[in-house]
Amino acid sequence: MMTCHYFRTNLQPGNADAAMLEHLRHCDACLDFAMSVDPDLFFRSLGGEELIPPGGVDAFVGDVMSQVRVHDAEASLAPRRAASAWQRWAIAATVAAGFTGATIAYRYEHPVQAPAPAHVMAAAKPRPAATATKSFVETYSSHDATIVEMPNDGSDTKVVMIFDDKLPADL
Amino acid sequence: MAAEVLRMIPTKESVELDDRQLVEQIRQGDDRAFEMLVRRKTSKVYGLCYRVIGNGEDAKDISQLVFLKLWENLEKYDATYAFDTWLYRMVTNVAIDFMRSKQSRDNAVNSNLRLVKTSVDPEQTVTVARKEVESVFNAVSNVLSPKQKTIFVMSEMEDLRSSEIAKVLGCRESTVRNHLFNARKLMQAQLRKRFPEYARLWEDSR
Repeated sequence: MMTCHYFRTNLQPGNADAAMLEHLRHCDACLDFAMSVDPDLFFRSLGGEELIPPGGVDAFVGDVMSQVRVHDAEASLAPRRAASAWQRWAIAATVAAGFTGATIAYRYEHPVQAPAPAHVMAAAKPRPAATATKSFVETYSSHDATIVEMPNDGSDTKVVMIFDDKLPADL
Repeated sequence: MAAEVLRMIPTKESVELDDRQLVEQIRQGDDRAFEMLVRRKTSKVYGLCYRVIGNGEDAKDISQLVFLKLWENLEKYDATYAFDTWLYRMVTNVAIDFMRSKQSRDNAVNSNLRLVKTSVDPEQTVTVARKEVESVFNAVSNVLSPKQKTIFVMSEMEDLRSSEIAKVLGCRESTVRNHLFNARKLMQAQLRKRFPEYARLWEDSR
């Protein structure tokens, strides 16, 4: 331990080494003297002290360890940590690839007939009204009706004009 | 001869594991090693927190938070670097965050309050009492930013060199020196304003 005499003899402004500082931080008698030689030591005199948390080191360490145990218990109960951004992208890409593959495989096994073009569909449609009209017209009989058969120009189609007030509107 | 024999007997210090070895044991699942590390570093961590924060209870809470973060992040520690540098970095980050949030809270509360000057007779004899230095420091260091205060404490009270502080904070040495220079200037201005009897120390010495 440095003596006060040695400290006071050797202290120079701006030149306090570790040993000098240690003396300064423990010797109240030299504090005033040190300030008069080097005011920059004013706050430096505070350092070096072993500071103990309120309640003591044992209680502090005990608190820390119990917090650590609580933290570990929470961590073990909590669900696994959320995936990072790149992991989420990888998962999304895998799901998308799987879905696409399954769709392709299903389509391969169950081919879907392409819908026919509109004009083909129209031609393929049955024409019940025409058929009904034809049979209705051929058997039509009324005293009040005037039936005019159009001259046939050699085709298979026969055109007949019926004038009758009682003729159904939806014929 | 007796001294030589004594030197051969392993002392408590010689069988104690160093920080890196303790970290290695903790990584292998040894909780007791962590407890040992906490016990070893409590004074260092609490001391720095207390100097920066200036309040024992807050410093205790922040120190415990630091150790909890240490436990969570121990896997990230790279053993090629000094453990204390890594620990100091954690302490300064947590303490600076706390100071920033505290400052914003205090600003909100004290926005309508004015600083009342301490009335002091400038001619009175200066007798420096250690306890008073501490309260003066707590009073005048409030003008510093959290980072300035942390750097000042590490330099003046923890006796870390500028290069070491730069490593802890992950900045350049010149930045540390700038912060130190500005911190000293601001604190001397505050001393002149609020504690003229101590400010005279600087004036008398010139």
